[in-house]
Amino acid sequence: MSFRTFFLSLSASFGVAWLAVVIVPYFKMRSLEPLSMGDDASGTNVVFIPKRAGRITEGAEVYAENGCYLCHTQLVRPTYAGNDMFRPDWGGFKYDDERGDSRRETNAYDFFGEDFAQIGVARMGPDLSNLGVRVVNAYAMDISPEDWLYRHLYNPRWKPERRDSACPSFRFLFDEKDIKGNPSDEALEFAGIHGGEITPTPDARALVSYLLSLKKDQPVPDSLNFSPPAAAPTPAPAALIPAPAVGKEGDAVKTDAAPSEATPAPAEVAPAP
Amino acid sequence: MSSAIPTSTEKDALLRAGIDRSLRHPVMFFLTSGAAWLAVSIILGVISSAKVHSPGFLDSCSWLTYGRTQAAHLNALVYGWGFQAAFGVIIWLMSRLSRQECRAAGLILTAGHVWNFGISIGLIGILSGYSTGMPWMEFPVFAWPVMLFGYFAIVIWSFIQFKVRPDGPVYISQWYLMAAMIWFPWVFITANILLHIIPGNPVMAAGINAWYKSAIIFLFFTPVALGTAFYLTPKVTGRPIHSYSLAKLGFWSLAIVMPWAGMQKLTGAPIPYFLPYVGAAATVLFFIPAFTAAVNILRTAMASGDVVNNSPTLRFTMAGVIGLIVMGTAAVFLNLPGSTLRYSQFSLSGYGFEILSIYAFFSFVMFGAIYFIVPRITRREWLSRRLIKFHFFISIYGIVLIALVAIFGGIQQGVGQEEFNISWTDSALRAFPYAWAMTIAWCAILLSNFFFFMHLLVMWMRLGRRSSHPTLLISDHGHSPHGEEGDIDTGGPGTASAAAH
Amino acid sequence: MSSPSPQSHQKPDLDESINVTKVHGRVERETAATLRERRIADNGHEPVSLWVIVACGIVLLIAGGVLGNAGTLFDYSNTFKEGYVRGRSPGAADEGPLPKPALAAFSARGAKIYSKCNGCHGADGKGDGANYPSLAGSKFVTGDTEILAMIILNGIQGPTSTGKTYGAGIMPPQGAGMSADDLAGVMTYVRNSFGNASGDVVTIEMAANALDISAARAKAGQSVTSEEIKAEHMKMLEGEPLDPATLVSPSTLAPAP
Repeated sequence: MSFRTFFLSLSASFGVAWLAVVIVPYFKMRSLEPLSMGDDASGTNVVFIPKRAGRITEGAEVYAENGCYLCHTQLVRPTYAGNDMFRPDWGGFKYDDERGDSRRETNAYDFFGEDFAQIGVARMGPDLSNLGVRVVNAYAMDISPEDWLYRHLYNPRWKPERRDSACPSFRFLFDEKDIKGNPSDEALEFAGIHGGEITPTPDARALVSYLLSLKKDQPVPDSLNFSPPAAAPTPAPAALIPAPAVGKEGDAVKTDAAPSEATPAPAEVAPAP
Repeated sequence: MSSAIPTSTEKDALLRAGIDRSLRHPVMFFLTSGAAWLAVSIILGVISSAKVHSPGFLDSCSWLTYGRTQAAHLNALVYGWGFQAAFGVIIWLMSRLSRQECRAAGLILTAGHVWNFGISIGLIGILSGYSTGMPWMEFPVFAWPVMLFGYFAIVIWSFIQFKVRPDGPVYISQWYLMAAMIWFPWVFITANILLHIIPGNPVMAAGINAWYKSAIIFLFFTPVALGTAFYLTPKVTGRPIHSYSLAKLGFWSLAIVMPWAGMQKLTGAPIPYFLPYVGAAATVLFFIPAFTAAVNILRTAMASGDVVNNSPTLRFTMAGVIGLIVMGTAAVFLNLPGSTLRYSQFSLSGYGFEILSIYAFFSFVMFGAIYFIVPRITRREWLSRRLIKFHFFISIYGIVLIALVAIFGGIQQGVGQEEFNISWTDSALRAFPYAWAMTIAWCAILLSNFFFFMHLLVMWMRLGRRSSHPTLLISDHGHSPHGEEGDIDTGGPGTASAAAH
Repeated sequence: MSSPSPQSHQKPDLDESINVTKVHGRVERETAATLRERRIADNGHEPVSLWVIVACGIVLLIAGGVLGNAGTLFDYSNTFKEGYVRGRSPGAADEGPLPKPALAAFSARGAKIYSKCNGCHGADGKGDGANYPSLAGSKFVTGDTEILAMIILNGIQGPTSTGKTYGAGIMPPQGAGMSADDLAGVMTYVRNSFGNASGDVVTIEMAANALDISAARAKAGQSVTSEEIKAEHMKMLEGEPLDPATLVSPSTLAPAP
């Protein structure tokens, strides 16, 4: 075999895979078609963009820099890939006060505002896709959600039921000073390990803001709504046929395929009143 | 089999000795600095592993938080040890196989220092809190052009040497090494451009990163190690490769299948549905090139079982090849989407498999190559048989423990994770004993490599034995018929080619 | 052995004046390692073992199976499995939502119902000073529970606990269709919000008793008045008291097992 043959064969075998698995999907998914959620009360077309409130970009940087993705994931897998959806508080809440079962899978629009989805490498700690929802509605009962997260970051083992947590202490994201006279306005309510008052640094604030923005249980358009049709009402808005065929997200594919599917596809669900 | 195994003529030996001499500085630099990085990486690995089961360990220092030490550990292992050992072995092997002396040794040495500098800065960047957050690409962004530049400066000479080689058939090792040298920049440039320069969907970016990780293992470390093993085994035993056509088949199956692998790490993520399954299928199919190459090499070597026992080179190489079989089997077992993938996806299995591939397979073969190459380029023999044995056995104990954790512990942890009816705390506690096992394993490996590094350092300083007799692991009758170990210049004219092996 | 090698131009010491044996010995020692190397013979043609072929065949089948589950290959537009519908949670029966402390659970229920009282009494429960009385600090609210129950179920005419008459002096009844759960919830909520802190929970049993009392009133169907309250209703509703910290199921309001 000559070098020329070798190089051409190598390029061909690698190149086909490179195109099929890396280049084509990456460039196709750069421009996702916005999905329509139907019309709202005033008749304007509402588009599904799960925007999150908070300092997402800066907070995501702090998250990445401190390696949180090595122990936490941000992926709620569909039921064919894992049991994440069956946990009562990972994909949303199973018993949300207002919406009933608000859980849903992660979709391609969920990482708006971030450059690199921190899907995560391993699960030493729980999935964080809906951490904001959990902190606000379940964990932080007597204190504010921010305070709860500051406490957790400072010492993850502060609650007796969490004394086995393997989460490292992020004390270095806080400044500790001796209390002189009146405590400063920004100081947190609990004392540091040396007894001083603690103030979060800008990194800590950004991180907490990012963590609280992790709410991925918003209602989704029909093409991304996979709840079984006979089950309790999932808050799908009035089902209009989503935006036509240029959609890259398969909504058109699903709608077309729906009549021939044996399992009921969402498009066949009667519009929720 | 013929017993009159042809030994090389003196003229040929002088040529090869000349090649070795020309390469001494760059190769010794890569191997010694690589071994130093290996020790650093393992120290970081012990610290990280300890923090999993004892999170209070060293937790007052921000540089040592788990998220940073774990990232630094893996990057030091891959780019500090893995790549530098690969560079040392590649340039030596390509020179030898092309029968060309290295005329750019100074330049390669400089490029090696540039590479070293780049990753040192990169590691300080990670530990001080500037990691990019992309697994295996955590170095701050400025590091990658430096690394790329250093890489090209190092490997371009091997291609030039190949071009001016004398006529004759090209050996399988050369195909493996050149393939690795072509694949790596393609993969590296793609990943860095797509993840840092051209913005895209964030989930797909995570997918590209997973593909990159897999490509480094299967399309760089694996071919380098295989090429080395295919060289060392017939070289030391004198036997021909068991089935050369099978070797070529193995190479092409690796080339065709492995570029598709990697996306299975993102099963269930919102990327095109078929991608993770294609990745899983490709990773499963890794078994084929792995197993066929391993059988080939083992059959070649085992025909001369006593040679394998005596030679440090072959002991390590065979251990590495057995590691390859374990790696291939793990690749099948851990990546079945219907059954085990959901358990292994986010557990210790992923990390364990990476360590299996880098240490159990790649590193053992590199150790074999180092024990072969260093005496030739320094013209000194290894000082201590005991140090070599210590390195070998303690490393084996450590890596066997890691293999068990990866394959069984990870699945157990995954099973616990998938039990959605119990609280997360209970699920997470299942990982505890495996975390302890990892720490113990890394401590053992650290011990063995600390002594290896010392040994290598001594050789670098040319304080090895001046002798024409190799340091073998087993000496007959406890008393070598060729004189005491450590003797100097007992070889006179005509005794050097005695049939000691 | 002593013939000049092609590389002799690099070795000026290999001319006649040199002791070739000595030099040769030195060269041999220095290249001893390379001298004893074997030449690679790469022409092995052993047949491939059957077991290797079988093992590879099995792996090929496994990989084929994996690919078979990949759906339509190269379909870049679907990020989920085609026809995917969420599976049912396997195994254990539905246990219901996580229990909450009774005070919180009852108040949460009551808060939802209170939304229809917003219009008059205000979201902060303070009324507007002239037309709608404040619930904060009102003795009718924080006093005996039967008072509050009668007012909610039947409405009230005339002056309130402070003696002042607000607006037209009429609060319409709110009891139509109200269940005991709802009544218990809204009473607990009102008694523990807006600055009120009675600290106790009105249980469903007590609320059921209230419904009975309301139906059995002499003037059933008409609003209560201050006089009737003072005469007949200045007592706590009967029922087993419930510790406000007891964990109850938020959906059924029954104590969690």
